[in-house]
Amino acid sequence: MAYVRVEKAVKYFPREDGTDMLVLDAVSFETKEYGITCLLGPSGCGKSTLLNIITGLEHLEQGRAEIVSNHRDAGKDAPRLGYVFQDPRLLNWKRVENNLIFALKGMGIPRQEWDERIHKYLSLVGLLEFRKQFPLYLSGGMRQRVGLARGLVIEPEVLLMDEPYSKLDHLTARKLREYTLEICARLKQTALLVTHDVEEAAYMGDRTVILSPRPARITDILDNPLPPLERDVDDTRFIQFKKKLLQSVMRLVKEEV
Amino acid sequence: MAKQEKALAAQSEVGVAVSTGVGAIPRRRGGVWAEPIQDVVLRVAGVLALVLVWWILSLIFPPTLVPKPMETFGEVAAIITTGDFFYEMGATLRRVLVGFGIAMVVAIPLGIVMGTLRNLESFFEPPVILGLTMPGLIWAVLMIMFFGLTETSAYAAVAITICPMLAISIWQGTKSIDKDLVDMSKAFHAGPWSKVMDVIIPQLISHILAAIRYGLGLAWKVVVVVEMFGFSNGVGYQVVRGFNIFSMKAVLAWAITFLVVMIVIEFGFIGWLERTVTAWRPKIEAWRR
Repeated sequence: MAYVRVEKAVKYFPREDGTDMLVLDAVSFETKEYGITCLLGPSGCGKSTLLNIITGLEHLEQGRAEIVSNHRDAGKDAPRLGYVFQDPRLLNWKRVENNLIFALKGMGIPRQEWDERIHKYLSLVGLLEFRKQFPLYLSGGMRQRVGLARGLVIEPEVLLMDEPYSKLDHLTARKLREYTLEICARLKQTALLVTHDVEEAAYMGDRTVILSPRPARITDILDNPLPPLERDVDDTRFIQFKKKLLQSVMRLVKEEV
Repeated sequence: MAKQEKALAAQSEVGVAVSTGVGAIPRRRGGVWAEPIQDVVLRVAGVLALVLVWWILSLIFPPTLVPKPMETFGEVAAIITTGDFFYEMGATLRRVLVGFGIAMVVAIPLGIVMGTLRNLESFFEPPVILGLTMPGLIWAVLMIMFFGLTETSAYAAVAITICPMLAISIWQGTKSIDKDLVDMSKAFHAGPWSKVMDVIIPQLISHILAAIRYGLGLAWKVVVVVEMFGFSNGVGYQVVRGFNIFSMKAVLAWAITFLVVMIVIEFGFIGWLERTVTAWRPKIEAWRR
């Protein structure tokens, strides 16, 4: 069990003229302990910056961001984080299974566990028969699934996904969302999904954190009334929740545009 | 006006060509083997044309200046059947490969370091550029003066001549490395060795292959020069011997055997290497016309 907690996070970026630009303005939220939390906001609002702060790539001026986990003593080891990127970012010169091994090796997973894990996670994403294939011989959606398997194979405390469907065509993206939702539900995986797509947030998020345009503030935190496997894009309850999210977002955009 | 129309027509033609190229694999007339066979025929014709020019020249000039092709090929056969060829070629080949190996081992890390660390880039740029400008002949002289007529001077001359060229090629390649993949490797905590071997070097592979091609070509030239300076074996030595007895036939025969070995290495070994290390890349044959 693990979750992300961000408290009163403040972040500035230096401008070229020497002044500072406020990017995050006292952002506070917690993810769910199981399941997917979406960070929903317009492009350029600082969602990716927030992700970088959670992963420790960037530092905060004030406040704190941490991964709370009962698997390890707080502050003792680095948290184990899995990533899924916007592009699959696979090593195209390595076979599918070797792409997973690259992550397993990097994270220091004992070698005797590799084979079992590769088997498990490639089966989960439905690509077991392609384990010896090179990525460039796979379709875009399949490559993104390899990326998902690579993020999961290290059995991360938190899986971080940065707009992982935004470069796929509509149908592939839809299929992949279904996959990811089901897998995360089955594994009870804590995950943080960055997106600018309201429908995606409504569908994927057990909780959705809505960020305002820059400087990012939290404007709403909404929990999904529907459990992950009962979300149907044509269901009225789903549509109602989507509307609620949309209204919350549109309020912000109106102020801006 | 007519010109404009023509340009437009040309443009649309390009558009069509591109779209058919990317789309389905265009079917070739005459079955699967037509193109390879045509290819071989053209290559053989190219070689025969050269021999023809040589033969015509041999009719014009006396045999001491331009020997007949067939006589020279006879000399080639003699070199090979007496076993001289394998001994001399072996010596030359060893010098090339050792020198080349040393250059590679130095140039790959050097090129990667120059491409990734800005301070070291500035530091190494002048020596590398200077090294590139220095003619191989001068390196050969310097190394022989320093190490004497030993194998070491041959290895050193080859290594030092081609190293800057290899380093520059890899340095330039490093600049086109996909930063996203490097970030990915950081995200999964890849160690420094894994980062270099799994992420960086594979992205440089086409630059390294190009460097191997140029590097080997340069290495042959330098090693022959070194051998001419007073070594007692090697192809360069044999060429000098032919020169001393003023036997154009001997010089040409050695040059030809040398060329054949080079071509075998180029098309055989490097071609094989290229196919092996780029097996992960779907073939782009369909795009080539």
